[in-house]
Amino acid sequence: MASVKSEAKAENLEVKSTSRSSVLGFFMAAPPMLLVVCFVGIPILIAFTFSFGFTSGPNRVVSIIGQEIHKKDHWWGTFGAYKDVFKDSRFPGDLRTTIIVSFLSTFLTLLMALGIGLYQRIMGGRIAAIMTTLCLVPLFVPVVISSWAIHTFYAGDGFMRSLLSHFGINFPTVTSTVSAIVIGSVWTSLPFAILMVTSGLQSIPDALIETAQDAGAGFFRIVRTVLIPLAITPIVIAGTFTAIGIMGSFTIPLFLGPNQPTMLGVEISNFFGAYNRPQQSIVMAFIVFTAASGIALIYIWANVKSAKQSGRI
Amino acid sequence: MARVKARVKTSSLGVKIFLYVFMALMAVFILGPLFWLGIHAFVTNWTYPNLYPDGWTLHWWTRVFDDSALETAIRNSLIISPIVVVVSMLICLPAAYAAGRMNYPGRKIFLIGMFAANSFPKIGLFASIATLYYALNLIGTFVGVVIIQLLGTIIYMTWIPAAAFAAVPRNLEEAARDAGASKFRVFRTITLRLAMPGILVAVVMSFLASFDEAQGSYLVGAPQIFTMPTEMYSLVQNYPIQVAAVFSLLLAFPSVLLITLARKHIIGGQLAEGFQIK
Repeated sequence: MASVKSEAKAENLEVKSTSRSSVLGFFMAAPPMLLVVCFVGIPILIAFTFSFGFTSGPNRVVSIIGQEIHKKDHWWGTFGAYKDVFKDSRFPGDLRTTIIVSFLSTFLTLLMALGIGLYQRIMGGRIAAIMTTLCLVPLFVPVVISSWAIHTFYAGDGFMRSLLSHFGINFPTVTSTVSAIVIGSVWTSLPFAILMVTSGLQSIPDALIETAQDAGAGFFRIVRTVLIPLAITPIVIAGTFTAIGIMGSFTIPLFLGPNQPTMLGVEISNFFGAYNRPQQSIVMAFIVFTAASGIALIYIWANVKSAKQSGRI
Repeated sequence: MARVKARVKTSSLGVKIFLYVFMALMAVFILGPLFWLGIHAFVTNWTYPNLYPDGWTLHWWTRVFDDSALETAIRNSLIISPIVVVVSMLICLPAAYAAGRMNYPGRKIFLIGMFAANSFPKIGLFASIATLYYALNLIGTFVGVVIIQLLGTIIYMTWIPAAAFAAVPRNLEEAARDAGASKFRVFRTITLRLAMPGILVAVVMSFLASFDEAQGSYLVGAPQIFTMPTEMYSLVQNYPIQVAAVFSLLLAFPSVLLITLARKHIIGGQLAEGFQIK
């Protein structure tokens, strides 16, 4: 159905002049953009006004249902909900956990992806192929399953403790600790990072590596001066994408983390649903937004840079 | 390539042992949890710290199929995901063609805008959307869940096909035109056919993104509409681990099937290609 539609449009396109085809291109590109504007852009704007106490219009229903709603007391709104969140005794711990988990997991994911990617690029062979394939497995496992699988694997009566107890080792119960969130985050983030890093490294011509070798450069020198600088864009994209994903994650900290402190993703959901304090939930969402948009800027910058390099923009 | 390999392939025994140990650890790290949970779908009970279960049974499977809540969740998932994929194709594929092949005003903003939208943390976005859903009366509705899942497919359905359309060599199309093929025929037999692997990967990824989406569907759908992943949230709390294991295997089945079919193209770089602005 879709292909018929695009076929028809492509047909039109070639008949029309260049200027008209650019108008057509705009209209073809519009639907997904419109969807994103309506269900990403506008909700964010409305939620932003809600967090400052604008409780009429589209925010009316949620303001009636929710508890502890702050209504604006100045023309610009109120900081009431923000004050609630910053005064909440759990918030500093949650924020710290979110930042530590995001940073640590991203670092470990990139380290593993780079290690395996570089090994595959330089050495190639069967081991490298098996390892890359292995790392892609998590891509195809729904996050609710993998989180629960990891939960049972590292639980008090899980495999790790069962196995190692036979060797007289008392392996700690990892489930319900911050370490378990890191394990789960790395597990789920690995495939995307591996795909980005390997595709970046594969596009580097062999000739460059050979020339460096002829000039007497060793393995680590080639990695540091040739491979990493040339593949830096996909590496940055992998890193930022991973960090943003982990920062806003919900299922992994919910299934794997401790009850307190947890990550802000879980807290946003708790405040919205269980505690019925939507305004405070939205405030926390904007705190995560702010942290993530800094990372998002790096991500967009890396994308634009790569697009410019290959002359696509 | 051969020369590069020959030069550095002087790894000692120590390095080899390290590599095999590392590979074994990676296998345990990645596959271990999946196998551990999977086996639980067939066991009566498992006493700590035994390495073998107390006994084998298929009892948990009948229990899942007899439970009406779980059955509803399975049916909802099987209805919602195909709808999401078809709607996503209708909305996104023309845009993918435009992004891959044409220059139009606002193209740069379109490209960056799509990525920016994807850069926001999901759970915060879902909370914002849920606030709007209250006003639109979409909380707990079928349409609301479809829209939430649709958002997650856009990035796959525009980027991967856009890269695939852009990669079709123009001279091939021109040659076919010179040989007298109509424009429609050129598009159908050359452009579309060469872009097909990319579109296929996009369809597979979109289906899985929709089928596996849990956070957003839970926030706006529960407690009226449960899909298989959102049912997992209550399942793990209220049922024995074996039931969650059976449900997990059922939920993983479409993924395993689709990935096996599209494996070649996904590992072949279509996916990674699609994630850079083309």
